[in-house]
Amino acid sequence: MFDVIVKNGVVVDGSGSPGYRGDVAIKDGKIAAVGQVSGEARTIVDAGGRVIAPGFIDPHTHFDVQLLWDGAARPALEHGITCVVPGNCSLSLAPLKIADRQRLIGMFQQIEEMPPEAFTTAFEWTWEDFAGYREALEKDLSINVAPLVGHSVIRLWVMGPAAQERAATDAEIRAMQDLLRECLEAGAVGLSTSFVDVDENGRPVPSRFAQFEELDALCAVLGEFGRMLQCVPEFYATDITLARIDQLAELSLKHDIPTTFSPLFDTLAAPENAERAIARVEEQFARGARVWPQMQTRPIDISFSLLRPSLFFARLPRWVRILRQPLVDRLAALRHPETVAKMVADLGPDGGEAMMGRLVARGGDACPADLVGQSLSQIAKARGQAPALALIELSLENGLDVSFLSASAGHQSTDRIGPMLAHPLVHIGASDGGAHLSSFSTYGDTGYLFSEFVRKAGAMTMEQAVAKITSETADIWGLKDRGRLQPGLAADIVVFDPDSIDRGEERPAFDMPGDGMRYVRDATGIDTVLVNGQIAYAKGEYTSARAGVVCI
Amino acid sequence: MSLSRQRRFVTPGPDETVEELARRAMPDQPLEGAVDAIKSWNLHVFVMRRPPGLMLGSDVIFVEPPLAHA
Amino acid sequence: MPEAVPEAVIVGAEIVAGHDGAAELLVRLRHANGVESPVVLDEETGLKLMAACGASHVDDLAGQSWRRILEAS
Repeated sequence: MFDVIVKNGVVVDGSGSPGYRGDVAIKDGKIAAVGQVSGEARTIVDAGGRVIAPGFIDPHTHFDVQLLWDGAARPALEHGITCVVPGNCSLSLAPLKIADRQRLIGMFQQIEEMPPEAFTTAFEWTWEDFAGYREALEKDLSINVAPLVGHSVIRLWVMGPAAQERAATDAEIRAMQDLLRECLEAGAVGLSTSFVDVDENGRPVPSRFAQFEELDALCAVLGEFGRMLQCVPEFYATDITLARIDQLAELSLKHDIPTTFSPLFDTLAAPENAERAIARVEEQFARGARVWPQMQTRPIDISFSLLRPSLFFARLPRWVRILRQPLVDRLAALRHPETVAKMVADLGPDGGEAMMGRLVARGGDACPADLVGQSLSQIAKARGQAPALALIELSLENGLDVSFLSASAGHQSTDRIGPMLAHPLVHIGASDGGAHLSSFSTYGDTGYLFSEFVRKAGAMTMEQAVAKITSETADIWGLKDRGRLQPGLAADIVVFDPDSIDRGEERPAFDMPGDGMRYVRDATGIDTVLVNGQIAYAKGEYTSARAGVVCI
Repeated sequence: MSLSRQRRFVTPGPDETVEELARRAMPDQPLEGAVDAIKSWNLHVFVMRRPPGLMLGSDVIFVEPPLAHA
Repeated sequence: MPEAVPEAVIVGAEIVAGHDGAAELLVRLRHANGVESPVVLDEETGLKLMAACGASHVDDLAGQSWRRILEAS
């Protein structure tokens, strides 16, 4: 008797091999059989001809805090994600002394944009060491977690405030090595560091004060465990990214460890950037180094409001002059009819239709609810105004607190990005799930992989796309028990419709502690998600299953 | 497979100033010009950093201009 | 007598999308060796650079010395 049989589906096993009609049987949280399964089960899931695939693995997230009150990392799980890697960018919630909590909260808030209540009322802070954090985390998980430990917090533990001021002494480096070893023994899957991130005051995070020798010493400990080094390079500058690739390669070769850097973007303004980075990665892999670039699937959107000056208007001199005035003067100018008439005239005879018509009112702020999601072109038509005038007046009517979104303004060329994502040395990731909450949605990138790069562009087959975000990710990270539909492995499974899986529309949600706002996307085309053999999400609903584990 | 040549860089020593770094990395150049050049090649540190010019041990500091690439 | 190092000059600029959803200014510098290289400035620095150069349009930045960028920090 099996516990569950997922039957009547197309088995796409994560290997990249063509899918085939079949079933998957589960016993004691593990996959027991794959193929034409006979026998009985306590629960039958009828896949109805949809794809049965391994659960997706998201290797770059910041769900560290959210997981303490939401063990499903919503909405990640409903998008088919069964394992998340938090603790990226040098920041994790452990090891952390009580005295350093406030300092770390500032750093987390800078990245995650979470309300203060998330840290004060949403969970009980019971731990200092990594084992204690793991224990707190595992109490209520319905998704699997493969946590990194952050270089910045390791520094903070050993050096206190000096972690953000100076290089470490030899004795401090030895103490950091011991601490890292303890974290890896307690379940960390690697170390994260950052060359980019800053705290809430704009000061570089502690990991950035480390000499290369310190990172080298920590990687020696990673080498004892064969574990991952993740870093955030200066992704906005190609030459620096290339220098980081070389540093990572040296560490990978010297200590026999995998390394990954995220993010890697494509930009039409500097089209050679990503190509040069990938070419360097190819050279380093040919030497035997493992340096995995993480590339996200989703394009980058620009958003702005008239509350602050934005470079979005940099081609409109009058707008720039007016919007960079102090708020009082700016409001006065925007209320002055002749000034506004000139601003609108600057857009030309179409009143801004070409430049601004496709902007979308985002919501989550003072924007009237009935306008959220509408294009400025639609809003302007309804008001009987030119788009530029509608943008100004709608903003004025709402205290300037109306955000407009310019969608797909960067990393947007499907024709260019598709082949890069399909490249065997490019790791699909960098979703940043659980971060940038009030700026944009970091969920649904896997759905977008299928809708945009499989269905629309044909950049890869559906089986290749599944392999990219399952078995290949598990192999890169050394998650031996995950990523394939294979007897004996963990039963992390997603059932989805290959013709409709997508990331859903971005919408504001007020579901953070303290009624905090974030942007989310609801899954489309995901039927059922099983985590360690238990149904965690089905037919649009989360279940009460809590089978998630810290997986290593 | 041999590695193609990449732009030369150094990492700052503990508490090293840009002048000290310039003397170390570009000993044949007049100091003032070398410091200027290093700043112009490393605007990520000398413009974008808060405070501007704060050099960190983890920084990549280029000590030559960008290379022409195919 | 060693030679002084010549100056880098801005040859163009354009608006690009930043990782965090803000618009950024990508400035192209031509260095003394003739090689062009992009530098990405955040929104605040980009706007300061335009103001420092008296530029009302990104295209006005062309021809300015790299030192203008330094002044915008």
